[in-house]
Amino acid sequence: MSARLTNPRPGLRVRPVRRAGGLRATALAALLVPALSACGGDASSATGNATLKWASSYFPAHWDPVVSGSGAQFRQLALVYASLTRTDDEGKAVPDLAESWEYNDKGDRITFKLRPGQKFSDGEPIDAAAVKAAIERAQKQKNSALFGDLTSIGKVEANGLEATLNLTQIDYQIPQLLGQRVLQIASPKAAENPKKLDQNPVGAGPFVVEQLVPGTKAVLKKNPDYWDAENIHIDNVELVSAPDASTVVSGLRTGVYNFADIDPSQADAAKKAGLDVFVQPGFNAANLSLNVNKAPFDNDEVVDAVRHAVNREEFVQKLTFGYGEATDQPFPKGYVAYDPKSENAYPYDPAKAKKLLAEAGHKPGDLKLNLVIPSEDPQAEIVQSQLAAVGITVTIKIDKNWATPFFAKDLTFSLYGTTGRDSAAQTLTAHFGPNGPLNLSTPYEPAGFEEAVAKVRQTPLDSPDYAETLQAATRTGLGSKALVFTYASPNLFAKTKSVSALPKNPGHIDWTGVKVSGAN
Amino acid sequence: MVRRVLALTSGRIAVVILAAIALLALLGPWLAPQNPLATSDNALAAVSGTHWLGTDYLGRDVFSRLLDGSRISVLGSLEVALVALVVGAVPGILSVYLGRAFEWFTLRIADTLVALPFLLFAIAVIALLGNGLTQAMLVTGVLVSPLFYRVSRAATLAVARSPYVEAAIVSGASVGWIVRRHVWTKVLPPIAVALAQTIGVGFVIVSSLTFLGIGVQPPEPTWGGLLASDLGYLSHRPWAPVAPALLIMVTVWACNLLADAIRDVSGEAGRALANDRKARANRREAAAGPHPAGGSR
Repeated sequence: MSARLTNPRPGLRVRPVRRAGGLRATALAALLVPALSACGGDASSATGNATLKWASSYFPAHWDPVVSGSGAQFRQLALVYASLTRTDDEGKAVPDLAESWEYNDKGDRITFKLRPGQKFSDGEPIDAAAVKAAIERAQKQKNSALFGDLTSIGKVEANGLEATLNLTQIDYQIPQLLGQRVLQIASPKAAENPKKLDQNPVGAGPFVVEQLVPGTKAVLKKNPDYWDAENIHIDNVELVSAPDASTVVSGLRTGVYNFADIDPSQADAAKKAGLDVFVQPGFNAANLSLNVNKAPFDNDEVVDAVRHAVNREEFVQKLTFGYGEATDQPFPKGYVAYDPKSENAYPYDPAKAKKLLAEAGHKPGDLKLNLVIPSEDPQAEIVQSQLAAVGITVTIKIDKNWATPFFAKDLTFSLYGTTGRDSAAQTLTAHFGPNGPLNLSTPYEPAGFEEAVAKVRQTPLDSPDYAETLQAATRTGLGSKALVFTYASPNLFAKTKSVSALPKNPGHIDWTGVKVSGAN
Repeated sequence: MVRRVLALTSGRIAVVILAAIALLALLGPWLAPQNPLATSDNALAAVSGTHWLGTDYLGRDVFSRLLDGSRISVLGSLEVALVALVVGAVPGILSVYLGRAFEWFTLRIADTLVALPFLLFAIAVIALLGNGLTQAMLVTGVLVSPLFYRVSRAATLAVARSPYVEAAIVSGASVGWIVRRHVWTKVLPPIAVALAQTIGVGFVIVSSLTFLGIGVQPPEPTWGGLLASDLGYLSHRPWAPVAPALLIMVTVWACNLLADAIRDVSGEAGRALANDRKARANRREAAAGPHPAGGSR
C-alpha cells in the first residue's frame, strides 16, 4: 500500500491545479506510510493476529519424531521440533539448537555445542543430556523409524552444553544427517512416555501445539522461547488435513486456508484464482523397484529392457502437469550429488527394449509381471502401458499390507517414491546399500558401492574433492540393477498474497522470516 | 405378470432402460470405439469427434471406458441380488415349516446380518481375502439377504395359515409340495419387488466400492472408478463426472421404477388395478358401441 501512495505513475503529467492536492497526498503519505506499514505483517505479529492456515496432504499420523520418521511429514513436525542443525538454501547444514560443531582430527568423533539458556516448551532445559536421550531413543525405541539412519553413531557423551558423538566410522555427513529429517529433538521428560508424546508433542521449535485433533487438525501458537523467535513473524498456525485435492483451491480462494500443498492437477486452477503457485526445491524421486534376486529380473537383459522401456517424460507430463522433471538419479539436476556423467545412461528406446527381451528369450507377451503397490496410483498404470508397449504384460496388484512384503524384500516388482534426505550419503545408502530399506534386492549392491560411500563419508563437506567423490559414489550406485528412477514430483504449494515468500531451502518448509498479513 | 408390468408406462420405461444397460453389459467391450486401456499423449482432452466424452488423465477414451466398465457394474449388482435371494429367500420360506429351533436360529442370524454395515464389512473382507469384486459382492449379498428372508417369511406366514394350505396338510401333502404348489406363487411377487430393489442397491454398492478403488484392480474401468478419477480433475474437465454419475443414477432409478411397477401389478393391489382396467375398457367399449336406431336427441 505504501508503494501505491508514494510511487508517482511514470509519465503522468501533473496539472498545476492538482498540485496542492498532490502535495497534500504526499504529506498524507508521509504520515500514513509508517502507520500503514505497521498494519502489515509486523503489526499482525505484534497484535498476535498473524495466522497461517495450512491445508496439508501430509497431516502427520504420528507426532513423535522417532515414530514419524524422515518422510514428508517431518515438515509439519518441524513446526514443533527443532534439531541440532538445519539446512540453508543450498542444502548445507547450518546451526539450529547447536551453535557450532567440531570434528576431531580423525573424523570419527564430533562435538556439538548447544546454545546456552534454551528450554523446551515444557520448561525442560535443552542440554547435551537431552540430545543424548533423543539419539538413544531413536536408536533403541521399539517402533523407531530412524534407527537405520543412525548407524554411524555409537556412544554419546553429554557434558553440559556439549554433546559428543563417537562414530562407528569416519563420517563427515553427521551435521547434514542430524537436521530436521532425522533428529527432531523432543523434551526428554515428555519422551519418557512416547505414547503420550505421539499425540502431545513437546519440542523446542518455533511453535507450540495448543490443540491437536488426531489426523485432522492442529492449532499452534508461536513459541516465545524458540532460539530464533525474533525471526518468526507468525503468531498462530492452524494446520489441517487437506480434504479432497480438488477442494483445496476453493478453500484458498475463500480464505479458509492461506497456504496449502497442492496436487499438480490443481496448479492451473490455483493460478487462475490469483493464488501464488510455487515449487519448493526438493529431493523427490520416484522409481521402479526391481528384485534382481527373483526371475525375471535375475536376467540382466530383462532389467536393461525395462530401463529402455521407460519414457520418463510421460510421467512428468501426465502426473506432474509439467511441474516435475524427469530423472534417472535420486537427486535433482544441479544438486551436488547429481552425477552429470550418468545422465541419460539408458535412454527411452522401446525398439532396443524389445530386442533385449528377444535376446533374453522372451516372446512378446510371454513375460508376465505383478506390479504390487499399496494403493491406486496412476504411476502404475503408466508403467503398465509402457511395458506393454515392449511386450511385457503387467498386472497391477493393490496390497493394503504392501509395506510388509516390500520392506521384507519379498516382492519382485514395485514402485517407490522418496522425498530424499539432507545427507546425500544417506540417500545413496538407503537406495543402493546392501541393507538399504529402498533396495528391494537386498543383499545385492552394485560393485564397489560401499567403498565409494565410505569415501564420501571420509571426505569433509568443505573439501574441494567432496563434489567429485560424491558424484563418483552416485555413479557407482546407479550401476544398481534394482532401481530405475523415473521422475521427480514437485513440492508444489499455493498461497494467498497475504503470506510472504518462503526461504527456498531444498526439501524443507522454513517459516523463518515469513510474514502473514491480515488480508487474503 | 410381465404383461401387466409392461402395461404400465413406468414399467415400460424401466424395462427399456434396464434392457439397454443389459445390452451395454453384454456388448459394451465390443461397442467401445477405442481400446479402453490404451493411453495416449492426449490427456484430459475435451469432447470431440474422436473422443465423444473426452479423455481421462492418461489420455484414455472415456466413452470406451464407460462402455467397457458397464459389465463389471452390472455383474456385480446381479451377484449381490442373486446371492441375497438364495441366501435369504430359501431359509425365509423354510423357517415357517422347519420347526421353532430353525426359525429361532435363522431369525437371530438375520438380525445379526442387519446390524453389520455392509460397505465397511465388504472393505474388511477385501482386506482379508485380497482385492476382488467377486468376494466383496458375495459378502455384500449375504449381508443384504435379510431383506429377502423377511419378505419371503412374511409372505409364507400369510399363506401357511390359509384354509387351503391347512386342507393340503390334512390331506397328507408334503412340505415340499405345499411350498411348490401354494407358497411359491404367493411369495414370488414380493420377492420380485425385493429383487428389483436389491439390484438397484447392488449398483450403488458396486459403484461405492469402485469409487473408493476397492474391488477392482486398475486400470479396469468401472462407473464408480471413472466418477472418482474424474472428480480429481474437475478444474480441467468440470463436466466429466456427469456421464458416469448419470448412468449410475438412471440405472438405480430404473430398478426402483421396476420394483414399483411389479408391486403395483402384483397381489391384491395388482388384481384391483387389473379389474379397474378391465372395467374402464368395458366402459370404453360400451361407449363406442352402436347407437340405438334413430339416434338420440
